[in-house]
Amino acid sequence: MSTLQLIGGGFGTVLTPTGIFLMFIGVAVGIVFGALPGLSATMAIALFLPVTYAMASTDAMTLLMALFIGAISGGLISAILLHIPGTPSSVATCFDGHPLVKKGQAAKALGVGVVFSFIGTVFSTVLLMFIAPEIAKVALNFGQYEFFSIAIFSLTMIATLSSGNVVKGVMSGVIGFMFSTVGTDAIEGVPRFTFEMASLKGGFDMLAVMIGLFAVGEIISAAQESRQPAGELMAQPSMKGIKGFGFTMKEFWGQMVNCIRSGIIGMGIGILPGIGGGTSNVLAYTVAKNSDKHPEEFGTGRIDGLVASETANNATIGGAMVPLLTLGIPGDTTTAMLLGALTLHGLTPGPLLFQNQAEVVYGIFAAMLICSVIMLFMEFFGLRIFVKLLTIPKYILLPCIFVLCGIGAYALKNNMTQVYACLIFGALGFGFKKFDIPSTPFILGFILGPLAESNYRRGMIRTKGSFLPFLQSPIAIVFLAIAAIVLVMAATKPMRAKAKAKKAAAKAAD
Amino acid sequence: MSFKKCKDIILGIAMLAFGGVYTYFAQQIRILKINKSFAGYAGARIIPTLLGVLLMVLGLLCLIQGVLKLKKMKNQPKEAFDKAGTMAVVLTFACIVGYIMALPELGFCLSTVLYLFLQMLVMAPKEKRNYALFAIVAVVFTAFVFVAFRIGLTQLLPRGIIESLLGF
Repeated sequence: MSTLQLIGGGFGTVLTPTGIFLMFIGVAVGIVFGALPGLSATMAIALFLPVTYAMASTDAMTLLMALFIGAISGGLISAILLHIPGTPSSVATCFDGHPLVKKGQAAKALGVGVVFSFIGTVFSTVLLMFIAPEIAKVALNFGQYEFFSIAIFSLTMIATLSSGNVVKGVMSGVIGFMFSTVGTDAIEGVPRFTFEMASLKGGFDMLAVMIGLFAVGEIISAAQESRQPAGELMAQPSMKGIKGFGFTMKEFWGQMVNCIRSGIIGMGIGILPGIGGGTSNVLAYTVAKNSDKHPEEFGTGRIDGLVASETANNATIGGAMVPLLTLGIPGDTTTAMLLGALTLHGLTPGPLLFQNQAEVVYGIFAAMLICSVIMLFMEFFGLRIFVKLLTIPKYILLPCIFVLCGIGAYALKNNMTQVYACLIFGALGFGFKKFDIPSTPFILGFILGPLAESNYRRGMIRTKGSFLPFLQSPIAIVFLAIAAIVLVMAATKPMRAKAKAKKAAAKAAD
Repeated sequence: MSFKKCKDIILGIAMLAFGGVYTYFAQQIRILKINKSFAGYAGARIIPTLLGVLLMVLGLLCLIQGVLKLKKMKNQPKEAFDKAGTMAVVLTFACIVGYIMALPELGFCLSTVLYLFLQMLVMAPKEKRNYALFAIVAVVFTAFVFVAFRIGLTQLLPRGIIESLLGF
């Protein structure tokens, strides 16, 4: 059977009254879980997994995929409106999304986010449908050397993200990396920095880090602002004169290069196990910023930043499904949960799944496409309601959001450990703000640190202490070379800027 | 000397100290006998030690930057101390700490109602403090969340007096 016939069959499998109902419910619940900081895509899938026990495998996977897509996209709502990312995948969405809200362009920011989330999902799903097994073969060639080099390459992005002060940016990344070393060592199984506390053996969770750094930080900032007359001055959003998604076709077409580039980055990162949307959105944002003629304008409310982040994080969904379905390798906790669901319903991911259970696989692909369309419509009609959220005073909204964050942290292990961790990271986030340290490098260090460390150590054990093989892998050497160039460029940036200014001054004097 | 002028110096010293303490504890990580052969280049201590030293170097750089900046900023005027803002920050942080500490003792319902009410009171500007509204929001929101998560999604929440009375 040809791929197109299989795709047609997939649509036929999911387009049943039950399937359509499940997709609507899944996307709606997913959006709510994604939009509320502290509640994540993983949590939505975990809570709904028992609901799928009695369902047919196609219906079960349809519901779970709807939750996944809705939750990843929903993260943009709180990132844009509240400056608190709903999921780690929307950290970079805050950078330019919230400044747009401050300018009174909340509807435009949400519209851009929603549309490019949709494009990101569709882009990666279509690629996934046609070339999944081929891409999986490429991903199989990635070993310790390659993963180490990609992690190092992504970590060097820290230097370009911290445009104000490279020392403080790198410092933030190093501290993030340090916190990721707390817990039982993944290779030797020995405890590190646990101080004989059983609760620290599992380490800190990414969600606790995010809640602490962003949600606690935002509440504290709002409290401080509320005592100043200027605190009330944020431009109120208006839907007057807003048509469609709030942006023009010219603006849309102007973002195409950025969109395709970010989609490829998102898909590529998604394919590689262990990295995921938390990194892809920041990486795509950094690339968009560095390739722009006016990088200094990023962070002030440019839609380019929003497009990069939202296209990339949604494209990661399709990417993450590649190793999951073709090799049975989950890339992150969310896909690990989906792997559990597949196994639970008697489906064994791997190359044979495409042969033996093609109707389920292509049913999943079809569900992903239909869910993206449902997401687009739901968020389009919800736009006006989301914007209304901003009319609720911050002193009522933020404490309520924090309570939900607390539930999310508690639900991670059904105990107070990660809730206490939120407090530690909250204090740290406040300290970062006071000392002008950027928090995004911290998150990148926290996510990518373990990946870099484990692959470096595994590689070194394999080579019995020689680093040379790391430099002999063509893929690894390319990424390490780019990382070195990025570092040199970032380090020499102030000098180059000085020289440029001198030249301009001399020219003006002439 | 104002905080703004010397914050890089304070940060540099703090990072030097944190890096030092972290490196010390990195040396305390156990090395298992069976892993001794690769402990020197791929052991559990390697990366933490490297990170600790790197943070100390960055701390030193920050300290130097701070000293140089201080010389430049010597003649700048002192900025006014925002007493009301600082008070709000301290009280907000106290509310959050109090809430997290009260959760396992009082349970979700009671601690959340108390936290929401007090937090709204702290964050709201004086002229907008509406005690009745805050109390209603605190109770209704807590009840909604409890029903949605504990009953609807069977998610466990910290138990206390109210949860015991309700039989959850």
